[in-house]
Amino acid sequence: MKKKLSFLSVIFSAGMLLAACGGDDSTSSEEGSSTDGEGSELKLLEDGKFTTASSGLYKPFNYEEGGNLTGFDIDIGNAISKEMGLEPNPVTTPFETIIQGLTTNRFDAVIGSMAITEERAKQVAFSDPYYYSGGVIFVREGNTEITSEADLEGATIGVVGQSTYDTAAQQYTDDENIQYYSSDVVALQDLTIEGRLDAVITADVVGFEAQNAGLEIEMIGEPLWIEQAAVAVRPEDKELLKAVNEALAAIIEDGTYDEISQKWFGRNLLDVDLEGIEILK
Amino acid sequence: MPEILVTVYDVFMRTYPGFLEATVVTLQLTAIGVILGTVIGLIIALMKISGSKILQAIANVYITIIRGTPLIVQIMFLYFGIVEIYTMSNFWAGAIALGVHNGAYIAEIFRGSIQGIDPGQREASMSLGMNRKQTMSRIVFPQALRRSIPPLGNQFIITLKDSSLVYIIGVAEIFSLGNREAAQSYQPFESFMVVALYYLVLVMIFTFLLRLYENKLDVDKA
Repeated sequence: MKKKLSFLSVIFSAGMLLAACGGDDSTSSEEGSSTDGEGSELKLLEDGKFTTASSGLYKPFNYEEGGNLTGFDIDIGNAISKEMGLEPNPVTTPFETIIQGLTTNRFDAVIGSMAITEERAKQVAFSDPYYYSGGVIFVREGNTEITSEADLEGATIGVVGQSTYDTAAQQYTDDENIQYYSSDVVALQDLTIEGRLDAVITADVVGFEAQNAGLEIEMIGEPLWIEQAAVAVRPEDKELLKAVNEALAAIIEDGTYDEISQKWFGRNLLDVDLEGIEILK
Repeated sequence: MPEILVTVYDVFMRTYPGFLEATVVTLQLTAIGVILGTVIGLIIALMKISGSKILQAIANVYITIIRGTPLIVQIMFLYFGIVEIYTMSNFWAGAIALGVHNGAYIAEIFRGSIQGIDPGQREASMSLGMNRKQTMSRIVFPQALRRSIPPLGNQFIITLKDSSLVYIIGVAEIFSLGNREAAQSYQPFESFMVVALYYLVLVMIFTFLLRLYENKLDVDKA
């Protein structure tokens, strides 16, 4: 018996070792940058590294291409980190639990297309917005039954859990008619299959990207509202929030932001006329 | 070649570097889940067959709670619940949840194998002058261990597949990579087909190794 147990403990420690070698992180970036000055006084998960989370399921904002995390959010995160003199370390975690992940210190910030809402602001602190986007209803191409949000009553709507689109869907239809997904892209894909979903609510650019990929979907009417995506940090990390806001202002000022936005969307996402449009709270 | 096979092949070729990395993570999760589960299972099984009412009660509570709740809930519980005491990485939260989960099932496998040994053998060895400890370690346990190999192997395969559930806390194992690929390529069917193939091949390898081991131990004759 004794022999057997010591044998097990050897395997056990081998397993631990194995895991320590490479199982720890979900995703890490290769891009390094010089670490100097500013970053050192911030309380970070890992010294000199700015660990930020997104779902990794929200093309074109954050997704995986050939094993690497990429997208607009990731580029913005990299630029902000660089500005702060920190090494960017983007990781992924399901959007449904991303706020809990932040408040339980799993990462330093969320840079994952999280829109500012009053509800979320009770749990996290938001930076200045880093882009504006429109919440939009998408339907299957050729659908003539749903032409405006008024037609959504009783319709089956697909959304990502805990997203702002989730809240909107709850206003338009009954709770039992909402279908939850972990990715907007998968929801849009499901929308193209007859008999599954009547509509998907998501960001305009996410739908456009899917259309470009050949999905037979169409947008209904105008954006329902404009929402402001921002970096989220823990409320007590006041220094970090200040540093993020300064870095964000700096990359907007020096043209880095415009460059990133042009690269992904061919336009500047902050360049939106906000007058007369409802801003989501 | 049918078109679907072509697109599955495309997804496979595009994703395999990432998937190989994810396979390592899946295997690490499985290894820790199995080893930790075996250690816990052994302890719990010994508690259950011990004479002590208190130890038996603790073991029963453990088995009742673990078998009575879904693994995915246990993963969430460990990831978000234990953080009050100690913040562990998502990988370790997932691996430990798998081990704790397995422990309950493996305990029952061990208990069943031990209690399945004919009581007559115990009486016989006692009458030969062995004490309880000697009877157990020389007569009962060696036989019970051989008998427990097939159900343990089964449990290991279940663990390998169950490890996919830790995607929920963001561990980059095979399933979560497939999920990301589906969200990236607009090809969910092909992506999950590739995921299924990875698991299938892993389980086939596992099964083969288990068969070799069983043959070596002559489990059939146990």
